[in-house]
Amino acid sequence: MIEVENLTKQYAKGAVVTVVLAGVSFRVAKGEFVAIMGASGAGKSTLMNILGGLDTPTSGTYRLDGLDLARAGDDELSRVRNTKIGFVFQQFYLLDRIDAVTNVMLPFIYADGNADGAALAGKALAAVGLGGRARHRPSELSGGEQQRVAIARALVTDPVLLLADEPTGNLDTRNGLEVLAIFQRLHREGRTLIVVTHDRAVADHASRLIVLNDGRVSADEPVAQPRDAEAGLRRLEAEAAAGGPA
Amino acid sequence: MTRTLRLFRQAIAALLSNPLRSFLMMIGIVIGVASLTTVICIAQGTRARIMEMVAKQGWDLIMIRAGGAKQVFAPTTDRTIASLVEADEQAIENSVGNIRYISSVQNQRGWEVINGATSVKTRIFGVGPTWHQIRRRPVEKGEFIAEGDLVNMARVAVLGFRTAKLLFGGTDPVGQTIRIGKDAFQVKGVFAEAGITPGGDDWDDRIVLPLTTTARRLFGRPYLEQIVVQVRNPRALPRTVDEITKLLRERHAIRPGAEDDFFVRGPQDVKEAALATSSTLTTLLIALSAIALVAGGVVIMNLMLISVSQRAREIGLRRTAGARQRDILVQFLFEALAVTLAGGFLGAAAGVIAATLLARTGVATSALTWLPFAMSIVACSVVALGFGLYPARKASRVDPAVALRK
Repeated sequence: MIEVENLTKQYAKGAVVTVVLAGVSFRVAKGEFVAIMGASGAGKSTLMNILGGLDTPTSGTYRLDGLDLARAGDDELSRVRNTKIGFVFQQFYLLDRIDAVTNVMLPFIYADGNADGAALAGKALAAVGLGGRARHRPSELSGGEQQRVAIARALVTDPVLLLADEPTGNLDTRNGLEVLAIFQRLHREGRTLIVVTHDRAVADHASRLIVLNDGRVSADEPVAQPRDAEAGLRRLEAEAAAGGPA
Repeated sequence: MTRTLRLFRQAIAALLSNPLRSFLMMIGIVIGVASLTTVICIAQGTRARIMEMVAKQGWDLIMIRAGGAKQVFAPTTDRTIASLVEADEQAIENSVGNIRYISSVQNQRGWEVINGATSVKTRIFGVGPTWHQIRRRPVEKGEFIAEGDLVNMARVAVLGFRTAKLLFGGTDPVGQTIRIGKDAFQVKGVFAEAGITPGGDDWDDRIVLPLTTTARRLFGRPYLEQIVVQVRNPRALPRTVDEITKLLRERHAIRPGAEDDFFVRGPQDVKEAALATSSTLTTLLIALSAIALVAGGVVIMNLMLISVSQRAREIGLRRTAGARQRDILVQFLFEALAVTLAGGFLGAAAGVIAATLLARTGVATSALTWLPFAMSIVACSVVALGFGLYPARKASRVDPAVALRK
């Protein structure tokens, strides 16, 4: 479903050329849950921007769902972002002045049809357990709830790929586990997910781990025994019932 | 709902979410359009009044004034320019075609007119028997000066409406006697009320006598202030003006290249001169309004540029949700357009109110037409697109990868 072949990205600033990606290749099949890790400066963000259709590579190929996006223009990339990719960010990025359901409806502004997506947005919110919070503004929601609204927004157009950038970075352990539990449920339902993170504990919830080092793939292997976020949550609750960890 | 409509709604929502910024964006436009609208309303009102004035005087009226100075309205002082005489009137009548009526005119201010114990100071006119038809001054009571009165240098007078009121109060002046200088005059008629002309001439405050009487009995001079002509065919009026000019130059022995010692003008000249005066001022005021609009546009551009950098994350987020560069461009242009058009609407309303109030107080005349609204819409669109395009392009080029970087 995703084919990345010898992808490079360089930035030229005057005579100085910075190589950020130096030939990255991998494939992701439909339904995989992949974590991409790497130290800062390893090229994670650039790779994520290219995978998300926010940037184009200097050379190499990138195919998503049969479309060659390495040379695509703004219109085609925008359409792909609108219909095939759902984004989840560390900082949620909800619009403050509108309520949760309207935030979730955002992609429909830029869709081709004439639907406003209200019904789909309601369903997407219910799927992340926020059906009762549709009319709340982001400022009236907790961080974990805000991130779940953002996940609903990413899923509302039924994209082929969910792309998350440090999705638990701004959340406490419990809320982070809740987000990961949603991701694992989506994975079981057959959704393709890519999570970019520097946190090994987060990556351990995926089924495959790609490690970037200096703009290259230094490791690409299945996660032997993915952690179960639901089990983590239950353990947390048990600890809370026992009066917190000693 | 189409994508364009959805983008428009996003623009409106963005404006409503920051009312202070939207208000600041609007205020320059409101002021500019308000002054533009006021100026146009008043200019249109003035224009309408000029046309009305010319129509009232008649499109068939030619005025020949003594002296070469070009004066549009009635002269403010009596002049003793000895260039026009009664013989000129005779010559014009005999050799120029297209003339229905012609009358010589003399006048002098400051004559004392007495009825018993009452006296008024007024302006005396000496005219021919068709003058009231040429100048369209109907006689309400009694009758106008006749041909025979001129032959006899008759001591008869036709009174202006207010002069008659002042001298006779409620009683009918016709047939009564008044004194002008040493002589007693019989009142032959009273003019209908006419009011004050746009030139400041009070048509109700005067006495009209036979020309021969003023020339020989009162003023003691043959020279005329004016000759007035009513043409048969107004369309041929310019040619008639040329013929009169040519004839008078010959009669006054003016060499080729030398200036006329008289001034002939038709209704077109009155209209054009009056419009030129008002349009100079209008042009100036419109230019000032345009400056206000440009200032408003600069304010809009600045506030939009600030807004673009403040909203970079929002723009980035919209891009990840599938907004194309041109969707962002269109939304920001819609914001500029909506703000200026709203400002333009408020400004136009304020301008119409201001013009109406000015007209009420009598400072100016105002007319309400579609023109200021059409001009406001055009001006606002130009300002919005002109000053909104740069910030909107800047917004569309926000790199989402940079804007959303942690």
